Amino acid sequence: MKTRAIVSSVSVSVSLLALWALIAQLEWISPIFLPGPSATWQSLSEGLRHGELLHLTFGTVERMAYGWALASLIGIALGALIGISPLLRTWLQPTLELIRPLPASAIVPVAIAFIGLSPAMVLVVIAFGAVWPVLLATTHGFANIEPRLHEVGRVLRLSPLAFIVKVGLPNAMPDALAGMRLSLTVSLILAIVGEMLASQEGLGLAILQAARSFRSADLFAGVVLLGAIGFVSNSLLGMAERRALAWKQI
Amino acid sequence: MRALLDRLGWRGWVLPVTLLALAEAAMRINPVESDALARPTDVLNAMAQAIANGSVLSLSAQTLAAALAGLALGGGLGLAAGIWFGLSRAAADAASLSIELLRPVPSVALIPLSMLVFGFGFRMEIAVIAFTCFWPMLLLSQAAVRNVEPRLLEVARVLGFAWWERVLKLVLPAALPRIFVAFRLCVGIALVVAVTTEIAANPQGLGYALMNAQQSLRPDLMFAMLLWIGLLGWGLGAGLLWLQRTWFRHSLAQQP
Amino acid sequence: MHALPRTQHLQVVTPAQTDAPLIVFDQVALDFGAVRVINRLSFSMRRGEFVCVIGPSGCGKTTLLRLLTGLVKPSAGEVRRHGAPITGPARDVAIVFQDYAKALLPWRSVAGNVSLALEAAHVAKSERADRIRHLLAKVGLAQHADKYPGQLSGGMQQRLQIARCLAQEPALLLMDEPFGALDAMTRQTLQDEMLQLVQESGTTVLFITHDLEEAIYLGDTVLALRAAPGEGSSLAQTFEVTLPRPRDQLSTREEPEFLRLRRAAFDHVKDTH
Repeated sequence: MKTRAIVSSVSVSVSLLALWALIAQLEWISPIFLPGPSATWQSLSEGLRHGELLHLTFGTVERMAYGWALASLIGIALGALIGISPLLRTWLQPTLELIRPLPASAIVPVAIAFIGLSPAMVLVVIAFGAVWPVLLATTHGFANIEPRLHEVGRVLRLSPLAFIVKVGLPNAMPDALAGMRLSLTVSLILAIVGEMLASQEGLGLAILQAARSFRSADLFAGVVLLGAIGFVSNSLLGMAERRALAWKQI
Repeated sequence: MRALLDRLGWRGWVLPVTLLALAEAAMRINPVESDALARPTDVLNAMAQAIANGSVLSLSAQTLAAALAGLALGGGLGLAAGIWFGLSRAAADAASLSIELLRPVPSVALIPLSMLVFGFGFRMEIAVIAFTCFWPMLLLSQAAVRNVEPRLLEVARVLGFAWWERVLKLVLPAALPRIFVAFRLCVGIALVVAVTTEIAANPQGLGYALMNAQQSLRPDLMFAMLLWIGLLGWGLGAGLLWLQRTWFRHSLAQQP
Repeated sequence: MHALPRTQHLQVVTPAQTDAPLIVFDQVALDFGAVRVINRLSFSMRRGEFVCVIGPSGCGKTTLLRLLTGLVKPSAGEVRRHGAPITGPARDVAIVFQDYAKALLPWRSVAGNVSLALEAAHVAKSERADRIRHLLAKVGLAQHADKYPGQLSGGMQQRLQIARCLAQEPALLLMDEPFGALDAMTRQTLQDEMLQLVQESGTTVLFITHDLEEAIYLGDTVLALRAAPGEGSSLAQTFEVTLPRPRDQLSTREEPEFLRLRRAAFDHVKDTH
């Protein structure tokens, strides 16, 4: 990025921060609703060092990661099978299209009904909600393999499994990884919702409790942490994506 | 007859219909008193009743009102900002860090904050939806504006158009197809966030009804609400896609 | 009684086998829906023969190749190899496509692409590296083993495809207008490289092209197909090319026999249009 761009973007962010501090200081918005940056920072650092925040963060991250990993595995495996078989696609596509627009969070009550309020319920909800972006993206990737490559596979007499692994999967990787990035966002959201509804230990529950007790600084601290989780996980996945798709850069 | 069935894609319906029929049969043969399972016919019954007594319609109105208001607010601001940043590289650069820092905040994390400030009701829900819709609208309309043929913008400058004339007469019409695609996406997002907010906190609308049904141990009503939400989402999506295909048939060669 | 020395690979071949054609097209017809694209096509190919096929678009040249891979079955008649009808892809039948970029794996390196054929043939991992190096050297891509197809020029990508096909150690090499998308200079270079490669290995080649001179330059036989054969045969004419080998871009193209064939081919094309 050009130096001028860096300077301008940093100055804008700093100005916004200063504006926030000013509004909080002058109490144009009540501190019950809007803590200042310093109050937020204090709550954040205290909570991380002495308090529960680190533990809670790990709880949420763990939940999100497990659900996402499970969803990715299932999504890619099923996506490969469905994508590569025009027959399966004809029979299954409409069912998939019907489930797609359903908000993943709408599954929560159903999951509660079946599994009850438990960590398992949250995991199931996350996995179920996060599987769709990966599944649909992988199906698309496998369904759109260059027909020439299909021919090459047949002439070389690659077994169906070898074809899926050596040709289909690498070809679908860009799509699958894009789907996995979306899934990660969904996983975080569902982890938070799950915690709120099932009273599971984590940042989601923590900020809900902070809101109920009118502890705005703690609330903001929690939101900042959740934003950080979103930012870091997305960046990590983005880096992995760039490594895996290095051949595309050329 | 065969041709008609083929066009309707009958094969795709075999699986869900068979599963439902099996479930129905299994639950009739072996009646089960469950808080979680419901016979498909009971579910349809519950939905019919909810439609008949008007509850589903008023609930849908609540959810949709919040969704559309949030979309108008957040999407509108996002569109304005997107157009601005699309036209002005300097503005886009200046905003970039702030966008990168604020965007990753998960929308649901704002539910408690919104609850704190607004209590329960429409405003709280609209605020969360607005925040969520702002970002995709911003980024996608920015991309749509960037994508406008630079030659067109040169022509506009040579012809001596004022900046607002340029935007209104050239930029917006040229970017409109892609902006509509972004709009379609945001409608879906708005609906999902509305339902999620109602499930997590706000005691109104379809999401709340869904949770209520589960807590009242009425699985038939619960599944009916779930089905209704799915149909609503699907219907909105299909309707907007149809609009897109009709209005923008020539501008968008193939869009998902 | 002396045992044969182990270095000698003597294949005892009966006279009948040496004369018997490798490939036989016997009254082959092919329909695309209601349209009969190929009709009553009969010809044969000897082992080691280089056969070129020319013809207007729609005459079924490309489908001809697929009949030989066994991926397409004739609607009538038979395609035989070693006397038996072709039922499916054989390990030693390779096909080089015109759209080389689409036939290569963009995520694998040059070496990786060649390796695909070896992996498909279940060649032991320990052997692969040597064979890949050998093949890449043969097509002149030895220094580019770690590059990706996206980094190669058109001619080099086509060479890579050829190397992958050679990895199958094909007895029959099918080529679908392989040099059509390349510039004239690259085309000539690859033509000569091709000839040298198949000369060394004695591979039988079926080569589709729309370039009449290329067909005469490369082939032992040129088959001219016609489109919309109707009731007649798709095979309009056969040219036997008796030019001496090895061929040379300059001198062969100046031979009276070359010019005679060229005139005959052009006249044929003019008449059938």
